[in-house]
Amino acid sequence: MEEESGEELGLDRSTPKDFHFYHMDLYDSEDRLHLFPEENTRMRKVVQAEMANESRGAGDGKAQRDLQEEVDELVHLYGLEDDHELGDEFVDENIPRTGVSEYPPYMMKRRDPAREQRDWRLSGEAAEAEDLGFGGWGSAGQCQDLREAYRYTHGRASEEYECYVIPEEEDEEEAADVFCVTCKTPIRAFQKVFDEHKEHEVIPLNEALESAKDEIHKNMYKLEKQIIEMENFANHLEEVFITVEENFGKQEQNFESHYNEILETLAQKYEEKIQALGEKKKEKLEALYGQLVSCGENLDTCKELMETIEEMCHEEKVDFIKDAVAMADRLGKFLKTKTDVEISAQPEFEDQTLDFSDVEQLMGSINTIPAPSAPVINPQVPNSATGSSVRVCWSLYSDDTVESYQLSYRPVQDSSPGTDQAAPSPPIIKTKEIRSCEEAVLICWESGNLNPVDSYTVELTQAESPEASGVTDSASLYRSVVGIPTCESVVQLQPGRSYIIYVRALNMGGPSVRSEPATVHTIGSYFRLNKDTCHPWLTISEDGLTAVRSERRTPARELSPSDTHFTRCVAVMGNLIPVRGHHYWEVEVDEHLDYRVGVAFADVRKQEDLGANCLSWCMRHTFASSRHKYEFLHNRTTPDIRITVPPKKIGILLDYEHSKLSFFNVDLSQHLYTFSCQLHEFVHPCFSLEKPGCLKVHNGISMPKHVTFY
Amino acid sequence: MALKQISSNKCFGGLQKVFEHDSVELNCKMKFAVYLPPKAETGKCPALYWLSEQNFISKSGYHQSASEHGLVVIAPDTSPRGCNIKGEDESWDFGTGAGFYVDATEDPWKTNYRMYSYVTEELPQLINANFPVDPQRMSIFGHSMGGHGALICALKNPGKYKSVSAFAPICNPVLCPWGKKAFSGYLGTDQSKWKAYDATHLVKSYPGSQLDILIDQGKDDQFLLDGQLLPDNFIAACTEKKIPVVFRLQEGYDHSYYFIATFITDHIRHHAKYLNA
Repeated sequence: MEEESGEELGLDRSTPKDFHFYHMDLYDSEDRLHLFPEENTRMRKVVQAEMANESRGAGDGKAQRDLQEEVDELVHLYGLEDDHELGDEFVDENIPRTGVSEYPPYMMKRRDPAREQRDWRLSGEAAEAEDLGFGGWGSAGQCQDLREAYRYTHGRASEEYECYVIPEEEDEEEAADVFCVTCKTPIRAFQKVFDEHKEHEVIPLNEALESAKDEIHKNMYKLEKQIIEMENFANHLEEVFITVEENFGKQEQNFESHYNEILETLAQKYEEKIQALGEKKKEKLEALYGQLVSCGENLDTCKELMETIEEMCHEEKVDFIKDAVAMADRLGKFLKTKTDVEISAQPEFEDQTLDFSDVEQLMGSINTIPAPSAPVINPQVPNSATGSSVRVCWSLYSDDTVESYQLSYRPVQDSSPGTDQAAPSPPIIKTKEIRSCEEAVLICWESGNLNPVDSYTVELTQAESPEASGVTDSASLYRSVVGIPTCESVVQLQPGRSYIIYVRALNMGGPSVRSEPATVHTIGSYFRLNKDTCHPWLTISEDGLTAVRSERRTPARELSPSDTHFTRCVAVMGNLIPVRGHHYWEVEVDEHLDYRVGVAFADVRKQEDLGANCLSWCMRHTFASSRHKYEFLHNRTTPDIRITVPPKKIGILLDYEHSKLSFFNVDLSQHLYTFSCQLHEFVHPCFSLEKPGCLKVHNGISMPKHVTFY
Repeated sequence: MALKQISSNKCFGGLQKVFEHDSVELNCKMKFAVYLPPKAETGKCPALYWLSEQNFISKSGYHQSASEHGLVVIAPDTSPRGCNIKGEDESWDFGTGAGFYVDATEDPWKTNYRMYSYVTEELPQLINANFPVDPQRMSIFGHSMGGHGALICALKNPGKYKSVSAFAPICNPVLCPWGKKAFSGYLGTDQSKWKAYDATHLVKSYPGSQLDILIDQGKDDQFLLDGQLLPDNFIAACTEKKIPVVFRLQEGYDHSYYFIATFITDHIRHHAKYLNA
């Protein structure tokens, strides 16, 4: 019945099925009596929806107008005697929108003293002062909630609802305090006793309120969702709109180019044809002309012969006979030569069938979408593959219309049949140039192939023990790095382990076999002295760990400055792996040796001493007059430090994280000095010998405990 | 021996306390400060003894470092107080406040002025009995006269201290005015007795285990310039005997607590390296 009423009132929205309409009274009880005949007490119309509906409408003016219409409708429907009252009431409701007065929405100002007696017959009257005209709800709080609900649903400013404030008017009627589920109206408890509600189920009003609120909220959420859906749809439409434009553009372009192509082809054909005909004509004419010429010649010769013969006939008999014999020869020869009287060129031009098949084809293809161009697969990015998956990226031409892609793959075996190209030879790892630290290794190798290869693959297996070697291919692979374009790679590793490294080369014919293995221990840092940086007076040992300066008798001649090797400071640099973190190494020196040990940036000026500029830091020891002097140089400055026991083995800790460089006496676990240095780039260890002697670098040492304090 | 707590303040998660007790060696009431790091709540910590004025506890900023490294820091007083000895308050560098960490042999000092025994015997025993410290792990350091005290305690007791360090120590008291004044007062005129309390001399006959000594000295320290401290003598002796020392002459620094505060972290780390090894 409620739904019907809704429809009657012109609610033509399709409402969700579980959108319940609750009985609700717009007016105060006393006024209701004016409007509703007694038997219609049960016919409560839910005008709430309408009110909400029109509230959601445009501005005040419109609402007011709508309201007026509604009013008229209601008047008509309920058989109002005095629609004025009704009108007033609705109007009242609107006034508060301007925030002026505090009229309760649907409450009449007039009070009818006869109210009380009618009260009991009406369920859920908003009787007391606190109750608003939403009679069915029975309490201001509920109306408040409903108001909240409206606000929530269509985001009206809260000021507009300020009007819904409870007036402090007395009202003798009492509030309903239970809810009749069957009739879906609030009633007062004692009313249950009455016939209407005797058999009905009754629940406390609060419960009813809660469930009503829930319903409202549910519905609100649905409305919200709908709003979002519609908004999304609108966006979507916009997108489609834009896409239509784009597609049109594409089609236009497509057709234009096709069309032009056809025209061009036709024009071309025309030209070709004309040209061919012209040539033919020329040929023929030339042939004919040639014939003409030879004909003319022939004619001339004949005539000449004739004349000669005639002349001969007038000669003396003896001369005549001589000439006649000669002439007879000539004539005989001449007449023997064939005269070609066949016309060489026919005047007709052959019919040539014009081949328009390609034009036809073009015409035919004008309607088809051109097949897209082949996508271009991007070269494989290193580290983009694992043992069981690979990441493929490709790009396409923006002009193409693509619906989908098809990716297919096939594994390529080492000895895949039918490949034209042989797999490459394995590379050769440059074991002496391996640099590592606790967290990574830098490997480089020689290609091992004369022809270029496509890429390299580095494979690592963990060695169970440091001496493990000769691991077969079936050993579990720890890491495989594919798609390496150059002959070097930095691979991240776990500290404190040993790894075996292989490299393969890869080309169209497949991968090569594994290279000879190389072993890496992620304990401490490994590096070698770089011969390229070495001062000419220093000799580096085969293993790259010892630097020797021999006695020199010859006077030092000026060495021309160089960017790669030291020319002033008799020094050499090591190749430390360019990885941040901690690096620790030790240098073995002689007590009486004058040396400098430290670090420097790769581009430190090689014409200067270590520690003399801001690109290098070093510890310097000089031994003179039986006294050991120690300096810690950077930018030519040093702190004043005395050390009583000269270290024989110096431990050096390079800490990128804390920007520190520390020196230790390894044998005594004694800390000597720490620089704070800004290491914006990578540095390399450097060593210099200021007098003849040698120093030895020790690698692969785990940081001792005493060093960890620094 | 009953300990009376005088004060307790929370600092860097630990507690800085001051206690008082009756000293047997010194025959008077003595105060000392103890810093208990947070780690001391759950276990025994190594002990680090600091010799200098009581201002150390508030002025030198060692608490953070001690807290981080989990070290108990004990700071006894510089001398007995309130002994009512005639002349004890006459000068600031002798008598009250300047015990020189010797066991005096001369009257009227010998009854009370036994700081050497107090620092090396009585106090450690007291600390070991009453606080969560590991008796096997002990180190010592100090400033100026306390630096001298630290050095001689370590050199006279090989193996007792895991490490030693000093700020601007009096390295060779036998040869400097302060030392001469103090030793003649406490020990009499027999200079051979003096040498027993002189770091430079002790080093020359040091037989014992490896010691790693860290010394910081302010370059602008007036007392250095006055020849009171004489670190060069000490260094030369250590070089001779191959006792490891790192001596740092710090540009611009003087004798004050600002100097101590700047480098205290390095010293505490130095000790932690050995105490927490």
